This record gives sequence, structure tokens and C-alpha cells, in this order.
Amino acid sequence: MKNLRMIGCSHRDAGIDVRQLLAFDAKQTADALGIWGSRFPDAELVLLSTCNRVELYATGIPNSETLVEALLDYRHVPSEQVEGNLLSLANTDAVRHLYRVTSSLESMVVGEPQILAQVKQAYQSAQEVGTTGPLLHDLFQSALRTARRVAGETALHKHRVSIPSVAIADLASCVFETFNEKHVLVIGAGAMADETLRYLRDEGEPHIHVINRDPERGKLLAQRWGGQYHEWSELWNQLVQADLAISTTSATEPVVTTSAFDKYVAPHRHQRPLIILDLAVPRDFEQAVSEALGIYLYSLDDLAQACKKNQSARAAELPRAEKIVTQETASFVTNAHHRATAPVIAGLRQELERPKKTELERLFRKLPDLDGPQRQEIEQFADRLVNKMLHPPMESLRDASQNGTPHGLLDAIRRLFHLED
Amino acid sequence: MDTGINMLCFSASYAIALALELSGLWVQFRLRRLALLLAAAAGLVAHTWYLGRRVAEMPAAPLANQQDWYILAAWALAVVYLTLKFYYPRSSIGLFVLPVVLGLIGGSLLATTEPLATFQAPRIWGQVHGIFLMLGTVVVLLGFVAGLMYLIQSYRLKRKLPADSRFQLPSLEWLERVNSWSLGAATLLVGGGFLTGVLSRLAQEGDQNFVPWTDPVVMSLAAMLLWLIVAEVFRLVYPAARQGRKVAYLTVAAFVFLLLVLAAVTLRDSLHQKTERAETSSSTAAGGLR
Repeated sequence: MKNLRMIGCSHRDAGIDVRQLLAFDAKQTADALGIWGSRFPDAELVLLSTCNRVELYATGIPNSETLVEALLDYRHVPSEQVEGNLLSLANTDAVRHLYRVTSSLESMVVGEPQILAQVKQAYQSAQEVGTTGPLLHDLFQSALRTARRVAGETALHKHRVSIPSVAIADLASCVFETFNEKHVLVIGAGAMADETLRYLRDEGEPHIHVINRDPERGKLLAQRWGGQYHEWSELWNQLVQADLAISTTSATEPVVTTSAFDKYVAPHRHQRPLIILDLAVPRDFEQAVSEALGIYLYSLDDLAQACKKNQSARAAELPRAEKIVTQETASFVTNAHHRATAPVIAGLRQELERPKKTELERLFRKLPDLDGPQRQEIEQFADRLVNKMLHPPMESLRDASQNGTPHGLLDAIRRLFHLED
Repeated sequence: MDTGINMLCFSASYAIALALELSGLWVQFRLRRLALLLAAAAGLVAHTWYLGRRVAEMPAAPLANQQDWYILAAWALAVVYLTLKFYYPRSSIGLFVLPVVLGLIGGSLLATTEPLATFQAPRIWGQVHGIFLMLGTVVVLLGFVAGLMYLIQSYRLKRKLPADSRFQLPSLEWLERVNSWSLGAATLLVGGGFLTGVLSRLAQEGDQNFVPWTDPVVMSLAAMLLWLIVAEVFRLVYPAARQGRKVAYLTVAAFVFLLLVLAAVTLRDSLHQKTERAETSSSTAAGGLR
């Protein structure tokens, strides 16, 4: 491998302040790659920048310090500010790291699926700028393949671990066959409501209704999700209509008491199922509301418990995922080392092809009466002989490549067969 | 032509499918779902073959006797199961449907193989009566299974029991829809079966053309029909009975009535059996024709 290196930082080693200092948006990524590409014309470069990590992958750059310097220069960040927060990896470690990142084993929420698309996007951006080459092409393609293997051969991605995803995909979908045309009531306009609506939209096209004490924020949330805003006084009426209620207010007292629910809501619902996701702390719905027929009430604690269970299920899948990463890393490294032997093998073949050709011409001159099939048979014999002679050195090179580029063996072959560099 | 396919073949296939469904509660092994589908499909093929052979042997089959009637109902339910399994491959529907299929096949062993008396009546009434009641039975059983699943799913959600990939049920919304539909369809089918039964009885010749209202079979079927009509009216009038657990309870209760009817038909049926007099009169009629 031509000095494969990775430098960068992630949520594991650096706080958000450092990550923000080094973060790149799409435009800056293209610009930085262009500048670095001109500065290191022989190098291959890919920059991956997400909320949780900034990583620069490169080949053909003699040392990591040069790479760090280039990164910090572009962002105008003094090295003291990031001291101790940057990770630097080379060769096999860098390969393994990228595979782990792409397979979401390094993610903040292990198993989250977005990182695969982000890695793909990072490679495509570098390709557009023209800073990729054969090694990084192979590396990123194999990283994507590894991630797909991890997703397909393990259940790592199947267990949801975020509160909104568990609430919608694991619980609400047990009640509703589809979310299309469902009446979804959002009480409060907090970040959790926004996040839950995002998951909900992925699952269907419900009618969204927002109620909030602050009309400005309520209207904004309703507008963002194509919903309808209602005055706070409409709360009971909206609860009667709702199929799914998501509550995220910051009220210090329960917004919906059992007595009010029993009086204003339950009699008008006729036991029609209602799923309530109470994502507020402290709770917006009194626990006893769930005793009414057809009411399924989940608090943040209930959902957190489900998340915890899924996290354990994911953890159980980790060894299998790690095994795949280890296998793929070993395979990539062996192939990369073996690729380094390609020029020698090509030279060797050429060295043997030359006398073969000369000898065949000489033989055919001496035996002019040979017909077409006879000449072909002799040519095939010569080809087989050359291949058989090449087989042992190639096998030895392949075996030796598993432990790194076999420089000693390559030198010996060069000297034995008088191969030029 | 004896192909060697008998009741044991398809019963065993369904039993294997059920065992595979049950095993999924504890262990998840590769190709389990495929093996399950293959076992159920093999059972259905053998089942169909068996019924086809019965039709070839006896044109009045598969409604020629009580045993055939049970086996045909089990076949219809097995078809429903396989269809649902394709739509909901991960669900544990088989844990509920397959025991009912096996129960119907088991019930057929208790049922008589004597030809049903309805063939003495104008044949069309007898056939329509049999088909209506067979379909009504399948629909009530389906409603019962959906009702049971609804109650379990609702219990799990109410008690916030975590979702388990080894035991998945369809959504409450879907189950509720099946429950409501089954109640309505069962009322029509059982009503149709009852009416055609009365008509077929009245169409008979000689001293058989009356309805024995005190017969246990007639009484239990009338009670079941009455219950279905009351349940349907209750459902239409009382909004809370149109959804949720109430409709599930109604379908479970309909199943209890069905059990009574099946017990009366299987154990104490004098209504559908050929009487000596009827046989004599039919042979006389046949002789007269000759």
C-alpha cells in the first residue's frame, strides 16, 4: 500500500467544539480537495465530514504530519487547539477503521444507517474533484461492500435504538396497519416532536395537527410538516379525533389529567384505539389515562426501556460484525500487497515470453511442413510450459503477500531473472 | 387410482409447519420460514389431491358426508393461512390458524362417513346448504383466530411488553377489520345455510318435509344464527362495539356457539342421516324408474 493514511477526529476522541472547528460542508470539501490535490499531485484523497466525524484519507503522502498540517491550514485552526483530539492511523489500521466507520460500528448510535450514504457521498465528491485513484477506489468500494455484508449478515441494523424510531416503528405500527390518512396530533413543538414526525413521514402520509401554547412555534412546526395548527383550546376536541398523539410540551404539570380525559375525551371516542406517545419530561399525560379502553399510553421511560433492550440486541450482533470487518480487512490488505508484486510478475512473464517467441520462430523455420493445427498445438505447449514455470514464483509471492509486501522475494526474483525496475 | 395420499399425509405436513412455527418462539435458524412455507404448501397440495380424488370417486363429494365437510373446511382455512403467510411472512399467524386446521381434521375423524341425507332432497338445496355452512364455519373460525390475536396484541401493548421479533402479530387495525368483516360475513353465510337447510327439508318428499325445531342440530344452529344477528345489530347500533376489544369478544363468543353446533352435528346428528324409510322409498323410486 502506498502509505495509506487517515487523520481526523470523531465523537470518540473529540468534543463537539473541536469537531465544529474542523467540519466541512459540501462546498468546502470540494474546495479543500482541489487545493490539496494541487499541492500533492501524486496523492489520492477523500474527505469524510459528518456531524460526528471529520476524516481525511490519503495515499502517497509521506507522513501524517503533512496531512494534519494541510487540514488545519485550510480550516485556519492552530494545532494547539486540537492537540490530543486528532487520530492518526496508517495502512491496515486505516483500512480497518474505514470499514468500521462505513459499517456503522464507530457511529454514536451503532447500526445507524445514514453513515453508509455519507461515506458513499464523500467518495463521490472526491471523484468529482479528481483526487481519487486506484487504491482509494478499491478501498472505498470494499468498505461499502463490507458495510453491506454487515447489514445483510447480521441483525445490527434491525433493532431500532432511538426513541422516535422505536415509538413509531416498533409500537405505533403494532396498532396501525398504515399511517396514511391517520389523524396525528402533536402537542407541543419540541425537538422530539420534530424528530418523531420525521420518522412518521417515512412510514406514511398522516394528517398532522399541531397544538402549542406558543402559536408562532406551533405554526412553524405545522408548516414544516404540511400540517394544521390549532389553538390550545381545541385540545380536547383534537384528542377525540386523534389516532396518534405525540406530546412534547415543557409543562411542569400534566397537561391531560385522568379526570379531564374521562370527561372530555373518552366518552366521545367510543373506545376507538388511541396511541399516546408522551415524550415530555415531566409527563404530559397522567398514567391513569392509560386505563381507559382502547388507550395505549407510552411514556419516555417506557420507550427508553424498549431502546435499551434493542441496544442489547445490537450489542449481541457486534462480534459477528467485527468478524466480517476483520475478514474483509485481511482480504483487502493481502490484495493490496499482492498488487504491489504485479510489476515484477509482469516483468517475469515478459522475460519468459521473449525466449518462447524466439524459440518458436526458430522451430517453425526448421519444420516448414507443419500444418496449422500442428503449429497451434506446439504454441499451446509453449504457453503451458511458460505458465507452469511462472506458477511457483507467483504462488510464493501470493503467500508472502499475506504478511506484507514481500520486498525480499521481489528483489530476489528481479536479480535472478535480471528484471529492470 | 390409489396414490397413497391419505389424511395422515396432509395432517403430518400441517403438524410439521406448526412445529416450525412453535420452534420460532425459541430459536431462529436459517431457512426456517422457507421450510415452514414448504411444509404448509406440501400439506395443501396433498389436501387438495385428497379432495380431488374424493370428487373423482364420488361426484357428490366433497360434501357427500360429514367427514368430507370437515376436511373441506380445513382445506379452506389452510388456503387462507398460506395466503396470509405470503402477505405477513414474519407474523406468527400459524400458531393460531394451524391448530384450528388440525382441529378440523381431527374433528373429521369423529364425524361419520355415512352419506348425508340432504341428497334425498333436491340436490341443489343440499349442496348450497352445505357450502354456506362450511364457509360460515371457516369465517367464524377466522374471526375467532383474529379475535384471539387482537386480545393478545392489545394485552401486550397495554402492558407495554416489548416487541418480540420471535412472536409477531398483525396490527390491531388489521385484526379489528378482519373481526368486523368475519362477523358480518358469518351472519350472512350462517343465515343462508340455515335458510337453505329449512328449504331443503321442506322440499323433501313424504313425511320428511317438516323442520324438527327441537332437534339439537337445528336448535344449536338457530341459537348461533340468533347470536350472530344480535351481535351484528349490537355492532351497528352501539359504536363502541364496532372497534377494539368488544368486537374481538363477539367473534370469540361466536366460536363458542360454533363449537356447540359442531358437537351437535358430529355427536347427535339424526337429521342428516339416511333413514331406512327414505332408503326404501328411494330404492322403490329407482325400481319404478327401471
